[in-house]
Amino acid sequence: MSDLIELEEPGDSGHAMRDEIRRTSDRFRGRRVAISRAMVALSCAALAIAAVPLILLMYQLFKQGVGQIDWKFFTTVPTTPTLIAPNATGGISNAIVGTIALTLYASIMAIPLGVLVGVYLAETQSKLATTLRVISQTMAGAPSILMGLFAFSLIVHDLDVGFSAIAGAFALAVLMMPVIIISTEIAVRNVPNTLREAGLALGAKSHKVSLKVVLPSALTGIVTGVILAVSRAIGETAPVLLVIAGGFTNTWKPLSPVSAMPLAIYENAKSEWPSQRAQVWGIALVLVLFVFILSLSARIWASRKQQVRN
Amino acid sequence: MSQGPVVELLEYEEVAAGPVSAATSRAWYHYLLLGAALIFTAVSVSFVGTIFWSSWPEWIHHGFTLLTGKGWTSPAGPFGGLAMIVGTVETSVIALVIAVVIGLGTAISIVFFIPRRFRTVVATLVELLAAIPSVVYGLWGLLVLAPWMQVTVNPWLNSWPFAKEIFGNSGQEFGTSLLLASIVLGIMILPTFVAISREVIAVVPQDLMEASLSLGATRWQMISGVVLPTAKIGLFGATFLALARATGETVAVALVAGSVANVQFHLLYPGTSIAAWIATEFGEAQGNEVAALMALGVLLMLLNVCLALISRSLVNRQRRALARV
Repeated sequence: MSDLIELEEPGDSGHAMRDEIRRTSDRFRGRRVAISRAMVALSCAALAIAAVPLILLMYQLFKQGVGQIDWKFFTTVPTTPTLIAPNATGGISNAIVGTIALTLYASIMAIPLGVLVGVYLAETQSKLATTLRVISQTMAGAPSILMGLFAFSLIVHDLDVGFSAIAGAFALAVLMMPVIIISTEIAVRNVPNTLREAGLALGAKSHKVSLKVVLPSALTGIVTGVILAVSRAIGETAPVLLVIAGGFTNTWKPLSPVSAMPLAIYENAKSEWPSQRAQVWGIALVLVLFVFILSLSARIWASRKQQVRN
Repeated sequence: MSQGPVVELLEYEEVAAGPVSAATSRAWYHYLLLGAALIFTAVSVSFVGTIFWSSWPEWIHHGFTLLTGKGWTSPAGPFGGLAMIVGTVETSVIALVIAVVIGLGTAISIVFFIPRRFRTVVATLVELLAAIPSVVYGLWGLLVLAPWMQVTVNPWLNSWPFAKEIFGNSGQEFGTSLLLASIVLGIMILPTFVAISREVIAVVPQDLMEASLSLGATRWQMISGVVLPTAKIGLFGATFLALARATGETVAVALVAGSVANVQFHLLYPGTSIAAWIATEFGEAQGNEVAALMALGVLLMLLNVCLALISRSLVNRQRRALARV
């Protein structure tokens, strides 16, 4: 790629104005090209600078994380190191169980509701729909700590449930819902109107069309949105930090305190024990792989389905 | 914090403005959908309502000390939020400058200078990076960057003339500081900013760029004279979205800023932000302090809603402007 499109030789060289333009343009041409090359180099330098910290982060994550992971890492509960056994950190099974439980309960709360609201927004036109659209967009960008404050005051404090998995799951559900709503609405609206009209023309009731024609066609988009919402919820620390109280046992009970992987990272990163600070890299590696696999599979699945349709 | 909805924002508005299809029949299905919508309305109303209500005792008892007071005396109070407000502004503005300067160059080179084959790969990579949980950035900042800042960067910064007056003395115990928090935040919001500004730049009409090139403009003249002015409003929208994300970021700042509630203009000293302070203090908070932290949450919510509204109206304006071209 050159920085300047070459002009062809003008046919009628006697044209005074064109000569004038060529002369002026030639006078600044060297400088223009030089500036352009410099700015292109600067932009590419910015790309390189942007890549450096992220490469360093991934490098540290793998270098320090892989060594921490073994069978016991996944199967035992954490222990507190003591002076006699400074390396006795135990495993993180409680955090893995907790994360799965939290995500499961949050999904049960958020996915059906989110999908239904998304369909509602796509298929009706009312003041309520317009308002909800703005609300879900604003909530999708809200700081996640606010969901923690909400779950604390409503579930832990007002309903007096106490610090529990269900409170954390509620916070995560509030976090996931806007994401699911937005992606469901986009998916449903992207279903071609001809499909709907074909269904209606065959005499189907409109709710049958919605259930049997529109939703199956929109399924890919909906599932992609759900997976992205889940992968976001798995990695969130702030909402669960305030309400799940970090239990030390493997438990699936909704009403008991649980731990979670992001929470374990947050707590152990501040630990005084070098062994615990080292173990954090292992937890972080597992968490990042979880999230990457989820969002990559969502992306690949979505693009493959799209190719099939095309 | 994955950026799915934010990245899709551009596409979303477009679709939402499109035609509405077959209305649902007045059957159970209609009531099911309506019921779900009403439940979501109730959740979102109580989301705002509960946090406001829980913060009420603080506004009653201490009035607006929260906005102007310095120092945070737990558990009895008074609770001054000035340190957190100043900390939030400092860290997110510096982070924003870092992210915009580097991110704009990155977005431009992704759209114009990278071979077409690699473009999807780089774009996917950027979106994956946006999906890395923020606590992992915080962990990296605390365990890798903080010691490096303490040993290498801080003494180097202090070796400049007048640096002590600007940055303060080096030699903080753990290397955690407002400057480190700003840098980590900048790195974190970079993928967000790049993803959105890449989309904004990519939708600038091809005709405009070709017209500019055919008039003899160099590639940079095309970018600075045509692409950036056309995409300007959308880029401001991306900036505000990145700012909204920076102000709301919690655990990363809680880990690397040092968690000290002082109004601090020397960037090498530890400080805190609104969201980070809620996260660090909430565990031990009781009674009035909970209300005070809820009141900080109200501040955060208002700030975030303002930034979100500004950015959305900017992105909308950009779309209308492009529709006219």
